[in-house]
Amino acid sequence: MTETIEIVETSVREVSSGKLSIIMFSGTADKFIPLGVLTQAGAAMGMEVNVFVTGFALLGFTKAHHDLPMPAEFAFMAPDLAKGMEANKVASWDAMLRQARELGAKVYACSMMSGVMGLAKDDFNDLVDNIVGAATFIHQAEGGETLFI
Amino acid sequence: MNQTSGRTLVDSRGSSCPGPITDLAIAYRRSKVGDVIELWATDPGVKADVNAWATKTSNQIVSIDETGEKITVIIRITKR
Repeated sequence: MTETIEIVETSVREVSSGKLSIIMFSGTADKFIPLGVLTQAGAAMGMEVNVFVTGFALLGFTKAHHDLPMPAEFAFMAPDLAKGMEANKVASWDAMLRQARELGAKVYACSMMSGVMGLAKDDFNDLVDNIVGAATFIHQAEGGETLFI
Repeated sequence: MNQTSGRTLVDSRGSSCPGPITDLAIAYRRSKVGDVIELWATDPGVKADVNAWATKTSNQIVSIDETGEKITVIIRITKR
Protein backbone atom coordinates (compact mmCIF):
# COMPACT_ATOMS: atom_id res chain seq x y z
CA MET A 1 0.00 0.00 0.00
CA THR A 2 1.41 3.37 -0.95
CA GLU A 3 0.02 6.36 0.86
CA THR A 4 1.27 9.90 0.68
CA ILE A 5 1.67 11.30 4.17
CA GLU A 6 1.23 15.03 4.24
CA ILE A 7 3.15 17.19 6.66
CA VAL A 8 0.85 17.83 9.59
CA GLU A 9 0.43 21.38 10.74
CA THR A 10 0.94 21.56 14.46
CA SER A 11 -0.58 24.83 15.57
CA VAL A 12 -3.15 26.56 13.41
CA ARG A 13 -6.01 26.87 15.91
CA GLU A 14 -7.71 30.22 16.32
CA VAL A 15 -7.74 30.02 20.10
CA SER A 16 -5.26 27.67 21.71
CA SER A 17 -5.03 27.32 25.44
CA GLY A 18 -3.18 24.13 26.20
CA LYS A 19 -3.19 20.85 24.42
CA LEU A 20 -5.06 17.56 24.82
CA SER A 21 -3.95 14.44 23.00
CA ILE A 22 -6.06 11.30 23.02
CA ILE A 23 -4.92 7.86 21.91
CA MET A 24 -8.10 5.98 20.98
CA PHE A 25 -7.27 2.30 21.09
CA SER A 26 -10.35 0.48 22.40
CA GLY A 27 -12.82 -0.80 19.84
CA THR A 28 -15.82 -1.26 22.14
CA ALA A 29 -18.85 1.02 21.87
CA ASP A 30 -18.73 2.25 25.50
CA LYS A 31 -15.25 3.75 25.11
CA PHE A 32 -16.36 5.91 22.20
CA ILE A 33 -18.62 7.95 24.51
CA PRO A 34 -15.75 9.46 26.56
CA LEU A 35 -13.82 9.92 23.32
CA GLY A 36 -16.62 12.12 21.97
CA VAL A 37 -17.20 13.97 25.25
CA LEU A 38 -13.54 14.73 25.99
CA THR A 39 -12.68 15.71 22.44
CA GLN A 40 -15.62 18.08 22.26
CA ALA A 41 -15.08 19.45 25.78
CA GLY A 42 -11.37 20.02 25.13
CA ALA A 43 -12.10 21.85 21.90
CA ALA A 44 -14.79 23.94 23.65
CA MET A 45 -12.23 24.88 26.32
CA GLY A 46 -10.09 26.36 23.57
CA MET A 47 -7.52 23.57 23.67
CA GLU A 48 -5.69 22.11 20.72
CA VAL A 49 -7.06 18.55 20.55
CA ASN A 50 -5.47 15.74 18.59
CA VAL A 51 -6.93 12.23 18.48
CA PHE A 52 -4.73 9.35 17.36
CA VAL A 53 -6.87 6.35 16.42
CA THR A 54 -5.27 2.93 16.47
CA GLY A 55 -6.08 -0.74 17.09
CA PHE A 56 -9.67 -1.92 16.76
CA ALA A 57 -10.89 1.65 17.33
CA LEU A 58 -10.09 2.20 13.64
CA LEU A 59 -13.25 0.20 12.84
CA GLY A 60 -15.34 3.12 14.13
CA PHE A 61 -13.84 5.40 11.47
CA THR A 62 -14.30 3.43 8.26
CA LYS A 63 -16.74 4.19 5.47
CA ALA A 64 -17.86 0.57 5.76
CA HIS A 65 -20.11 0.38 8.82
CA HIS A 66 -19.04 -1.84 11.73
CA ASP A 67 -21.30 -2.47 14.69
CA LEU A 68 -19.04 -1.69 17.62
CA PRO A 69 -19.54 -4.33 20.34
CA MET A 70 -20.09 -3.64 24.03
CA PRO A 71 -17.48 -5.28 26.27
CA ALA A 72 -18.84 -8.69 27.29
CA GLU A 73 -19.02 -7.85 31.01
CA PHE A 74 -21.35 -4.89 30.32
CA ALA A 75 -23.31 -6.28 27.39
CA PHE A 76 -26.36 -6.72 29.66
CA MET A 77 -26.32 -2.94 30.28
CA ALA A 78 -26.36 -1.99 26.59
CA PRO A 79 -30.15 -1.51 26.21
CA ASP A 80 -30.36 0.60 29.40
CA LEU A 81 -27.39 2.68 28.28
CA ALA A 82 -28.98 3.37 24.91
CA LYS A 83 -32.28 4.27 26.58
CA GLY A 84 -30.60 6.56 29.12
CA MET A 85 -28.57 8.35 26.47
CA GLU A 86 -31.66 8.98 24.41
CA ALA A 87 -33.66 10.21 27.43
CA ASN A 88 -30.83 12.61 28.34
CA LYS A 89 -30.39 13.71 24.72
CA VAL A 90 -26.71 12.78 24.77
CA ALA A 91 -25.26 13.29 21.31
CA SER A 92 -23.78 10.28 19.53
CA TRP A 93 -19.99 9.97 19.78
CA ASP A 94 -19.52 10.72 16.09
CA ALA A 95 -21.72 13.83 16.30
CA MET A 96 -19.58 15.01 19.23
CA LEU A 97 -16.41 14.36 17.24
CA ARG A 98 -17.85 16.20 14.26
CA GLN A 99 -18.65 19.20 16.49
CA ALA A 100 -15.15 19.05 17.99
CA ARG A 101 -13.60 19.04 14.53
CA GLU A 102 -15.60 22.16 13.65
CA LEU A 103 -13.93 23.77 16.67
CA GLY A 104 -10.51 22.71 15.40
CA ALA A 105 -9.92 19.20 16.79
CA LYS A 106 -7.98 16.83 14.52
CA VAL A 107 -8.33 13.09 14.11
CA TYR A 108 -5.49 10.93 12.81
CA ALA A 109 -5.42 7.26 11.94
CA CYS A 110 -2.35 5.21 12.88
CA SER A 111 -0.47 4.29 9.73
CA MET A 112 0.92 1.00 11.03
CA MET A 113 -2.41 -0.40 12.30
CA SER A 114 -4.21 0.91 9.20
CA GLY A 115 -1.75 -1.12 7.14
CA VAL A 116 -2.18 -4.20 9.33
CA MET A 117 -5.96 -3.99 8.96
CA GLY A 118 -5.74 -3.34 5.23
CA LEU A 119 -7.20 0.17 5.49
CA ALA A 120 -6.08 2.96 3.14
CA LYS A 121 -6.93 6.69 3.40
CA ASP A 122 -9.87 6.09 1.09
CA ASP A 123 -11.38 3.49 3.42
CA PHE A 124 -11.79 6.04 6.23
CA ASN A 125 -14.77 8.34 6.60
CA ASP A 126 -14.67 12.14 6.74
CA LEU A 127 -13.91 12.21 10.49
CA VAL A 128 -10.31 11.27 9.74
CA ASP A 129 -7.99 14.14 8.82
CA ASN A 130 -4.99 12.08 7.86
CA ILE A 131 -3.00 8.89 8.33
CA VAL A 132 0.13 9.49 10.38
CA GLY A 133 2.80 7.54 12.21
CA ALA A 134 3.31 7.35 15.97
CA ALA A 135 6.26 9.75 15.84
CA THR A 136 4.03 12.49 14.40
CA PHE A 137 1.50 11.99 17.19
CA ILE A 138 4.18 12.00 19.90
CA HIS A 139 5.61 15.17 18.42
CA GLN A 140 2.13 16.78 18.39
CA ALA A 141 1.40 15.64 21.94
CA GLU A 142 4.63 17.02 23.39
CA GLY A 143 4.07 19.51 26.19
CA GLY A 144 0.37 18.72 26.68
CA GLU A 145 -1.87 16.20 28.42
CA THR A 146 -2.20 12.75 26.87
CA LEU A 147 -5.02 10.27 27.50
CA PHE A 148 -5.16 6.62 26.47
CA ILE A 149 -8.67 5.27 25.95
CA MET B 1 -29.29 32.97 19.07
CA ASN B 2 -30.18 36.68 19.26
CA GLN B 3 -27.58 39.40 19.04
CA THR B 4 -28.46 42.86 20.33
CA SER B 5 -25.76 45.37 21.19
CA GLY B 6 -23.13 42.99 22.48
CA ARG B 7 -25.50 40.70 24.36
CA THR B 8 -26.00 37.17 23.09
CA LEU B 9 -28.53 34.67 24.37
CA VAL B 10 -27.47 31.04 24.10
CA ASP B 11 -30.28 28.58 24.82
CA SER B 12 -28.75 25.18 25.63
CA ARG B 13 -31.67 23.85 27.63
CA GLY B 14 -32.11 20.11 27.15
CA SER B 15 -28.57 19.67 25.90
CA SER B 16 -26.27 17.31 27.84
CA CYS B 17 -22.61 17.83 28.69
CA PRO B 18 -20.54 18.93 26.80
CA GLY B 19 -23.28 20.57 24.70
CA PRO B 20 -23.81 23.78 26.73
CA ILE B 21 -20.10 24.55 27.10
CA THR B 22 -19.69 23.95 23.36
CA ASP B 23 -22.56 26.32 22.57
CA LEU B 24 -20.85 28.85 24.84
CA ALA B 25 -17.51 28.31 23.05
CA ILE B 26 -19.17 28.91 19.67
CA ALA B 27 -20.80 32.14 20.91
CA TYR B 28 -17.44 33.15 22.42
CA ARG B 29 -15.73 32.79 19.04
CA ARG B 30 -18.21 35.26 17.56
CA SER B 31 -17.92 37.70 20.47
CA LYS B 32 -15.70 40.65 21.22
CA VAL B 33 -14.29 42.07 24.45
CA GLY B 34 -17.03 43.77 26.46
CA ASP B 35 -19.81 41.53 25.17
CA VAL B 36 -22.10 39.67 27.52
CA ILE B 37 -23.26 36.13 26.88
CA GLU B 38 -26.33 34.78 28.67
CA LEU B 39 -26.37 30.99 28.74
CA TRP B 40 -29.48 28.97 29.56
CA ALA B 41 -28.95 25.32 30.43
CA THR B 42 -30.50 22.42 32.29
CA ASP B 43 -27.47 20.11 32.58
CA PRO B 44 -26.43 20.35 36.27
CA GLY B 45 -22.74 20.11 35.30
CA VAL B 46 -22.94 23.57 33.76
CA LYS B 47 -22.46 25.41 37.06
CA ALA B 48 -19.00 23.93 37.62
CA ASP B 49 -18.15 23.81 33.92
CA VAL B 50 -18.72 27.51 33.20
CA ASN B 51 -16.34 28.39 36.04
CA ALA B 52 -13.71 26.05 34.59
CA TRP B 53 -14.27 27.49 31.13
CA ALA B 54 -14.01 31.08 32.37
CA THR B 55 -10.82 30.35 34.29
CA LYS B 56 -9.29 28.58 31.29
CA THR B 57 -10.23 31.30 28.81
CA SER B 58 -9.71 34.27 31.20
CA ASN B 59 -13.31 35.47 31.02
CA GLN B 60 -15.64 36.48 33.81
CA ILE B 61 -18.71 34.82 35.29
CA VAL B 62 -21.04 37.62 36.42
CA SER B 63 -23.73 35.40 37.92
CA ILE B 64 -25.15 31.89 38.04
CA ASP B 65 -28.84 31.58 38.91
CA GLU B 66 -30.95 28.48 39.21
CA THR B 67 -34.73 28.57 38.89
CA GLY B 68 -36.30 25.13 38.92
CA GLU B 69 -34.17 23.15 36.53
CA LYS B 70 -33.18 26.18 34.44
CA ILE B 71 -29.68 27.49 35.07
CA THR B 72 -28.91 31.01 33.85
CA VAL B 73 -25.28 32.06 33.58
CA ILE B 74 -24.14 35.56 32.69
CA ILE B 75 -20.64 35.70 31.23
CA ARG B 76 -18.70 38.86 30.48
CA ILE B 77 -16.14 38.53 27.70
CA THR B 78 -12.94 40.10 28.99
CA LYS B 79 -10.48 38.30 26.72
CA ARG B 80 -10.59 37.27 23.09
